[in-house]
Amino acid sequence: MSSFISGGVSDLKRTARGWRWGRRSLVPRSAEPYLLPAQQTVFPSDWSRKRPAMAVREVVQKAGLEPLFRSQVRTKVEGLDVLDRIEGPVIFAANHASHLDTPLILLSLPDEWRRKTGVAAAADYFFDTWWRAVGSSLFFNTFPIDRRGGSMATTPGEVLADGWSLVIFPEGTRSKDGWMGNFRMGAAFLAHEHGVPVVPVAHRGTFAAMPRGQGWPSPGRRQLTIRFGEPLRPREGESVREFAPRIKHAVATLLDEDRSTWWEARRRAATGATPDPGGPDVAQWRRVWEQSQSPAAEGPARRLRAWGRR
Amino acid sequence: MILALEMFRSLPRTAVGKAIGTRMPGILSGYAAPLRLVTIDPPKVDRPGWARLRTRLSGICGSDLGALSGQTSLYFSAVVSLPMVLGHEVVAELLEDCEDLPAGTRVVLDPVLTCAARGVEPCENCAVGQTNRCSRITVGHLAPGLQTGFCKDTGGGWGQQLVAHRSQMHAVPEGWSDEQALLMEPLSCAVHTALRAGVKHNDRVLVSGAGAVGLFATLALRQLTPAGEIIVVAKHKHQRELAAEFGATEVVQPDEVLRRVRRSTGAFQLKPEYSPAYLLGGVDVAVDAVGSKQSLETALNATRAGGRVVLSGMPAAADLSAAWFRELEVVGTYASSQHEPGGRGAFELAAELAELDAVVRLSKSVASYPLHRWREALDHAHAAGRLGTVKVAFDPRSSQ
Amino acid sequence: MSRPGFVLEVDDRTPPMIVHEGLGFRLESFPLGTRVVYPPESIPAVPDVDEAIQHALLNPLDSEPLPALLRPGMRLTIAFDDLSIPLPTMKAPDIRGRIIEAVLTMAAEAGVDDVKLIAANALHRRMTAAELKHIVGERVFRSFYPQGDLYNFDAEDRDELTHLGTTEKGEDIEISKRAAESDLLVYVNVNLVAMDGGHKSVGIGLASYKSLRHHHNAKTMVHSRSFMDHKHSEMHHSAWRMGRIIKDTVKVFQIETTLNNDVFPSSFSFLQKREWEWSVKDQASMLGVRRGLSVAPPKLKHKMFHDMRSVYGLTGVNAGEVEAVHEKTLEKVHAQHSVEVNGQSDVLVMGVPYLGPYNVNSSMNPILAACMGLGYYFNSYRGQPVVRKGGAVILYHPLDEGFNQLHHPSYVDFYEEVLAESTDPAVVGEKYEQQFAQDPWYIHLYRTSHAYHGVHPFYMWYWIAHALDHVDEVIWVGGNRKAAARMGFRAATTLQDALEMASGTVGTSPSITYLHNPPHLLADVR
Repeated sequence: MSSFISGGVSDLKRTARGWRWGRRSLVPRSAEPYLLPAQQTVFPSDWSRKRPAMAVREVVQKAGLEPLFRSQVRTKVEGLDVLDRIEGPVIFAANHASHLDTPLILLSLPDEWRRKTGVAAAADYFFDTWWRAVGSSLFFNTFPIDRRGGSMATTPGEVLADGWSLVIFPEGTRSKDGWMGNFRMGAAFLAHEHGVPVVPVAHRGTFAAMPRGQGWPSPGRRQLTIRFGEPLRPREGESVREFAPRIKHAVATLLDEDRSTWWEARRRAATGATPDPGGPDVAQWRRVWEQSQSPAAEGPARRLRAWGRR
Repeated sequence: MILALEMFRSLPRTAVGKAIGTRMPGILSGYAAPLRLVTIDPPKVDRPGWARLRTRLSGICGSDLGALSGQTSLYFSAVVSLPMVLGHEVVAELLEDCEDLPAGTRVVLDPVLTCAARGVEPCENCAVGQTNRCSRITVGHLAPGLQTGFCKDTGGGWGQQLVAHRSQMHAVPEGWSDEQALLMEPLSCAVHTALRAGVKHNDRVLVSGAGAVGLFATLALRQLTPAGEIIVVAKHKHQRELAAEFGATEVVQPDEVLRRVRRSTGAFQLKPEYSPAYLLGGVDVAVDAVGSKQSLETALNATRAGGRVVLSGMPAAADLSAAWFRELEVVGTYASSQHEPGGRGAFELAAELAELDAVVRLSKSVASYPLHRWREALDHAHAAGRLGTVKVAFDPRSSQ
Repeated sequence: MSRPGFVLEVDDRTPPMIVHEGLGFRLESFPLGTRVVYPPESIPAVPDVDEAIQHALLNPLDSEPLPALLRPGMRLTIAFDDLSIPLPTMKAPDIRGRIIEAVLTMAAEAGVDDVKLIAANALHRRMTAAELKHIVGERVFRSFYPQGDLYNFDAEDRDELTHLGTTEKGEDIEISKRAAESDLLVYVNVNLVAMDGGHKSVGIGLASYKSLRHHHNAKTMVHSRSFMDHKHSEMHHSAWRMGRIIKDTVKVFQIETTLNNDVFPSSFSFLQKREWEWSVKDQASMLGVRRGLSVAPPKLKHKMFHDMRSVYGLTGVNAGEVEAVHEKTLEKVHAQHSVEVNGQSDVLVMGVPYLGPYNVNSSMNPILAACMGLGYYFNSYRGQPVVRKGGAVILYHPLDEGFNQLHHPSYVDFYEEVLAESTDPAVVGEKYEQQFAQDPWYIHLYRTSHAYHGVHPFYMWYWIAHALDHVDEVIWVGGNRKAAARMGFRAATTLQDALEMASGTVGTSPSITYLHNPPHLLADVR
């Protein structure tokens, strides 16, 4: 019995040392040329779409994230009726200006949609250690996507195949000044490839509440607005290159609609006069100035109390 | 927009790193590393003499590891500006013309941000070519920062692009590999160390530590000074072989140093209570190339009265009793100078050393990682000695 | 994406490696600079096995399609490799069974009545009914065995042998009478390693002692360098000479198959993978298996290993004229097993696994361990041996399994009497081979029981003749001291001790090569 244990201990020690437990694994120098090309350096994410993870996520989001989020910002959600009329999975294509965008979108979706929506997050930042992978997945439904379009480009397809919707930020990264940047083709490509509709999503106010570089929303419960638009599908014979600009235009129109009224936005869209979502061609400080103003708030910052303070 | 590894202020991480970093070294490349991969605007300095560069290769140095694991003294907090992109051993190519160097030229950087780079009147040190002693490293056009890689305005080697001043650039000779060029900066620091050591003819020299700093110091001492016996303290087998190749007379394990020095110098060995042993007598010059308390005390304890101890690695707190009692000269060496004793610059001398066969062979074993695998790179660098690697570097152009 | 084999150089970053030793394995940390030869990963298997078989039978090489060769009233004999191949035994259904079914289907359509199936086991032991059934499949077994039309070849039944003459070098050719007098002899082979197949199938598999003694002897084997390379193997040259004469008398339709390198089933998948690519699951499996093996009683260990069934995939099947088919077969075998190795080294290290061709469902006695290590694994080279002349070989095997009285009775006498007197293959052959070959008791056991022929242990000893001639030092790590000494070798407890012992021959810092075998490899030594 004792030799069984001591043998086991010595095996364990040799294995722990030889395979560098607790450290990062290494490959012998002379074996480097023969490595499998798609070396996974991020953690796999299928577990996050299974029932146990979904149950934990429900608690974490409803009891943790949501109250915290609502204590820091106010939201106004429009266009959810679009979701009543379509079936998942869909791809939500949204503009990206802040880390607040993801919780805003997730917490604005109806519960059944939120439970089965995944958010694409940069693999090399959110998934390079197990605690980041687990944490971001439980709080924000994330799954890894390679920013440079490498081997993990297949994961979005797997997520869709599981029946989950995707949230993609076609700009690829957060805007520097709050205005919309160039849209990459990822969302259009996936919609084309897997035959799922694209629901454009436009939001305002997240840059004002928590811009790039700031770690917490600005005080004062700033107003955020979010609007969901009619789903887009690639037309018969339409290529990815032709479909992609339509998505950007749809988000731009939604932003216009959010800022003014639906009718005016439709009129401007028909004549091609939708204001450029990339912002005016003026000095940087003026661009940032405009975007750092929160959308008009509706209602007071804090709920009225039935009794005043004394 | 470029990809870069930025070090940021984070009290909890630094605290964790200091507390359990030695016991759980894995955490130093995990939670405890205050480093993040960010997409930022490429740095720009709109001043004459500055140019943008694209990084080809940038090394991880012991000082970088120290900064990331919270081991560096707070003394340096005044001469760095967070958040900063790390990386001061840089081989890069010019993205635009810079005075006499056309775009596309491959250069290696002297990272010190001197008066010339900062656009101020040369201080008393820069005026005589001792640029590593510049006193104006916190003022001028740039934020405080002793070197490129510790300044938030210039960017650093661990990013896809950075900016540098013409006075920092040294063109890389044709035919050199990037890895060879990468070793130029540590080699020039070693050259500076060797020349600061004041080695007289046939002096006995002890080099404590056989990482990149110690090995290159050995090489420089053998090639550029009239040293006699050079004893190198090395823990790992490949380090012993390399030290011998670079000109060490003998290589010993850390626990044998005192014994070996005692025997060859005929000194007396004393053992105080609850403290490490020391010699009355010993080597003429000792170079500490590790910076740990143990290594520094070994160097102090093994040097003869009136001898010189050279602090080549950033030192930790140590017992300086021997320095006082035995009237030792304790001398610091930092970076490299454009005007070494003899008149030539350290980079020029280093270029000659970098062409030696032994160094070219060593350059082939540089382990390089893409930026997004920085945790693996840090982990590898922390254990480089035991893993048989001398230098770990980042290749920001690769995505594998 | 199947990666090629390669030679690893052990450095500080290399984890410990698996070394097989009999019914178990150990983790060994080799000295820095040791070369480790890794076999290629499995090449892709054919998408549809049945389709591939049909294609081969209908489009043979240098021959008419099989249906054209079949007609009513003909005498058809189907011979097949016995269970010494593949190793480990293949998971059901065995590929030979599938091919034989395809052949018999065509024969039934053509109206052939006179069909016999013979297991080409030469002087190997007779297989049991269950073993035959495993190879040919249940359908074929039920149709032929009860009627006595499926049987093991009996090389000592004088009435069932035909002498076909001699080669130009005076070598007798005596094979199964039924096979020689058939209108068509179909041979179904599994070409696991480069030694198998070609003229070796009929010429050796269905031959008697009188034929075999011409090339199964010490002198021929010493000059087979190696016997995995038929172009440079004296044994194969002899078999080829015989085969060309057999061709003139018997119409042979050779069907050869090649397998990939998927040796171990999923529960032992860590033995298949390169160590630094082990996942946490693999590491845990390895630790678990080692703990299990350390407390398991010998019978359980034996069962655990011998119950393992391999999951080989078919990479190719070719049919037709023997030499044309064998060329194609070897192309695939070399593609699957070949690894380029630059230069020889002073020391060769090999781990001997629990199974060789001659102890399937049996135990590996010391002689079989020596044959596996110094015979098969030592000869897994082309060009020149992996170790230099006068170097040392270090093998891992406990050498403690004893002798199986049912399967290897003559081995006991060989071990106790013959080896005690001399371990030189030429000397023992000269003095004792004839006796053992003609001993009536052994012949009786061979013909009626399940024993290897009396002469078989000698063949094991000839198999290592080349190695014994080539190296100066053989050391068994972890081996039973007495068994090693009886065979003329030495034993050590650890690798370091073994290297110490070898330092007299190869010096204190020799160059070392470790063959990371199984999965199978063939070292192309430059």
